[in-house]
Amino acid sequence: MSEKKRFKAVVNGQPVELDIAPDLRLIDLLRDHLGLTGTKEGCGEGECGACTVLIDGEPVNSCLVFALQAQGKDILTIEGLGSFDKLHPLQEAFLEHNAVQCGYCTPGMLLTAKALLDKNPHPTKEEIKVAISGNLCRCTGYSKIVEAIAAVAGKEVKE
Amino acid sequence: MMGVEFYQPTTLEEALKVLDEKQGPLKILAGGTDLMLDIRSKKYPVAGIVDITRLSELKKITVEEDVVKIGSLVTFAEAASSKLLQERVSLLAEAAGVVGAPQIRNQGTIGGNIANASPAADSVVPLIALDAVVSVASSVGFKEVPLHQLLCGVGKTTLAPNEVITEIKFKLPSPNARSGFVKFGRRNALAIARMSVAILLDFEAETIKDARVALGAVAPNPFRSTELENMLINKSAGEVDVEEVITKASQVVSQVLGSRPSAKWKNPAIRGLMRQALSKVGIV
Repeated sequence: MSEKKRFKAVVNGQPVELDIAPDLRLIDLLRDHLGLTGTKEGCGEGECGACTVLIDGEPVNSCLVFALQAQGKDILTIEGLGSFDKLHPLQEAFLEHNAVQCGYCTPGMLLTAKALLDKNPHPTKEEIKVAISGNLCRCTGYSKIVEAIAAVAGKEVKE
Repeated sequence: MMGVEFYQPTTLEEALKVLDEKQGPLKILAGGTDLMLDIRSKKYPVAGIVDITRLSELKKITVEEDVVKIGSLVTFAEAASSKLLQERVSLLAEAAGVVGAPQIRNQGTIGGNIANASPAADSVVPLIALDAVVSVASSVGFKEVPLHQLLCGVGKTTLAPNEVITEIKFKLPSPNARSGFVKFGRRNALAIARMSVAILLDFEAETIKDARVALGAVAPNPFRSTELENMLINKSAGEVDVEEVITKASQVVSQVLGSRPSAKWKNPAIRGLMRQALSKVGIV
């Protein structure tokens, strides 16, 4: 068996350093080794977007990334988006607009939405729809999610 | 998945050395969106993964003397948002912009799309239309292979295990050229192309002096149809018999598919797709 490799990165603003199997997926590193279970595994093949995290600000499917590919990078998971005391404006908006039903797609949706607003603070509805086209929702429906994101886009986004 | 090694070279030279010297079979990791799934489903045996994503020299889009050079590690998102490609090579920018979904476009690369040789590879269709040439490096040196020769069947290329695609080159279309890419899938995002068309017309005054029409997801690899191209060349936009071109497109698809079950729907579908492609370049 091949030897473990040293993995170093910044996860949710905190430096992380540990030894991992070379073929460990990023999603498994986050969930099983770092206890960040807010990242959900849906399809496991890059179709649903539930496992979306941001690497250096860009949304990727963490089920399709080897952890070692994220070596030295800045990773943001849902646990780093807001806190229980102070939700991120997007999280507030999702609650206000009832954009969460079962919640399984929500972490990925929120991170994809954050990446969009960071680049394009005032997107059109069409731009929002394209941005979240890789995040499937099977129960809430997309209208409320798009409304929630649009509501934040109309306001100033504070970290 | 025990025993898989993971190599992370930082230069091309180092990567080629790893490919030559380390215990195989080795697989090259660019975007990884297909590779991860293949490895997990044990589609082929793998002893080591060579992650080339740190080779920053392969991440540039440049133009030199009217030749566009796209580094093999350029992602679909980067290609889709490139001003140069949007303005002068829109068929490629458009194709890159409809691959998978945003997450996939942030990871997946043009080089990976070629190396995987899927019949439905979106970015390969415009590259075939552009007569692209692929630069390939190995420890013995560089070589250049026309893209249509590199691809040799579903999932097959002429690449040797120790060879790396470094660059994709093609002639910059003239400022008078019009081009576009259209794709037919089950839904807009995340759907694998069920069929696609890339078109490029170069105009001299009002006359089409060069035409390229490539079809994707019809044959084992995307291909140019000279039959369709010849129906467009030396005509003005108004002289093109649109219905005749559409009917010919349907015949071309029939010839390739023969009596395959998909021929039943691909045949009428290509008619609509071809009409869309022609309207993208102002013919309809």
